[in-house]
Amino acid sequence: MTEDTAPLSFEQALARLDEVVTRLEGGEVGLEEAVGLFEQGQAYLATCRERLARAQQRIEELTSASNAISGGEQDEPF
Amino acid sequence: MKTVGARQVWAIEEVTAALGRRLAGIPSVWVEAEVQNLRHRAGQVYFTLRDTHQIDASMRSVLFERLAVRPEDGSLVQAYGRVEFWADRAQISMRIERMELAGEGLLLAQIEATKARLARDGLLADARKRPLPVLPRRIGLVTSAVGAARNDVLNNLWARFPADVVLVDVPVQGEGAPRAIVRALEVLNAIPEVDVIIVARGGGALEDLMAFNDEQVCRAVAASGVPVVSAVGHEKDVTVCDLVADRRVSTPTAAAEVVVADKVSLDAQLAAAERGLVRGLARVRESSATRVDQRTHALIAALRAVGARSDSRVAAAQSRLAPALRRVADASALRLPLAGDRLERAARARSATAERHLAASAALLAVLSPSRTVARGYVIVRDPADARPLVSAADLRPGDMVELEMRDGRVDATVKGARG
Repeated sequence: MTEDTAPLSFEQALARLDEVVTRLEGGEVGLEEAVGLFEQGQAYLATCRERLARAQQRIEELTSASNAISGGEQDEPF
Repeated sequence: MKTVGARQVWAIEEVTAALGRRLAGIPSVWVEAEVQNLRHRAGQVYFTLRDTHQIDASMRSVLFERLAVRPEDGSLVQAYGRVEFWADRAQISMRIERMELAGEGLLLAQIEATKARLARDGLLADARKRPLPVLPRRIGLVTSAVGAARNDVLNNLWARFPADVVLVDVPVQGEGAPRAIVRALEVLNAIPEVDVIIVARGGGALEDLMAFNDEQVCRAVAASGVPVVSAVGHEKDVTVCDLVADRRVSTPTAAAEVVVADKVSLDAQLAAAERGLVRGLARVRESSATRVDQRTHALIAALRAVGARSDSRVAAAQSRLAPALRRVADASALRLPLAGDRLERAARARSATAERHLAASAALLAVLSPSRTVARGYVIVRDPADARPLVSAADLRPGDMVELEMRDGRVDATVKGARG
């Protein structure tokens, strides 16, 4: 089974998961395909759960004068 | 002036002339007052300027008509003019040459002008509004680090989901605020994984909210590469920033609800999807087995019908046909234990509900297991590299190594020849 290599966003993974579940539950697929769908579904599920687990309630506080991240414009006064 | 007995007697004209001389020394001034009783007559506009005191005033109609914003009764204005003295009636009024809205009226006029310019550029169109992500990787927050809005947003956000937040501390009112907010939006747009930005400020007087009616701030919101949620003021306050943002919420508190989904309901949604996967697979497996059986029976019936000579030959055909057809189904099922492992790993980390569900899944997977087929005397041919079952002769070449899974163990074998 070939999958897109670009990392999916949570929404994308969730949408594809729903799609797979719908197809699989529709029962109109062959067994071979069903197993493939099941595996795809598991992968999307893992992506979603991984994304959920990543959120750690972290907070980073910057000041509006912070130049560290904006890259340059050091001389811009605030 | 005349002298009557011991008394000096003035003519009124002399009194008014004396007054006029004194008043002539008062220069033109700016005054701030409310306009009242505005009326047009004979090329002039007459009105009263009032604070705690009042004075009659007039302005030439041609000048009044040319004002950027024409005051109405009740408008607070700053007006420039000189004191005029009408000697024949001893009346004093102000002759106004310039007049501008002041206070809230001025602010409202500025807001309307900003709105008009943004609308002309299409920045207020609904079609521009982007959907918010279901689960932003990081949330940008532009607000004052010491304002109440900060905690309103964070507490409500974290009550729903343990989101990661990048806060940029900005003044939310005063002269430097617009520039700082514009800059904060640029900074957040440059930070990776920030998928949505909340601009937040608590309620306040119109004057205090003006940074969010600033044209540059509104243009920066429109230019943001990620969707912006405007959470400024209270219910009744609508700023231009609200109009240009991808989503407006009435208070900072309400921002959380539109920015992150509730973790509990997301978890439930995923668990439901997982159950759907297992249920769907089970259903397909069952119906495949049923179809195989039906076809086997149909074939046997067909053989009988064309006059196969002996029952024993029919029986022999049956014994070959049924397994052959089943093999197709079972080969597919071989991959299930692998999927089952992942299912188990995922589920182990989760709630009791999911674990109960896993038990059901594991039972199902056992039913689908190919080991039963092997126990009946069939052999599974696998690729030794990845244990993938090999089901097609076309995949094999002479000299390929294969692994045979048998009832009591595994055998390494080499392909001598293949006939596809």
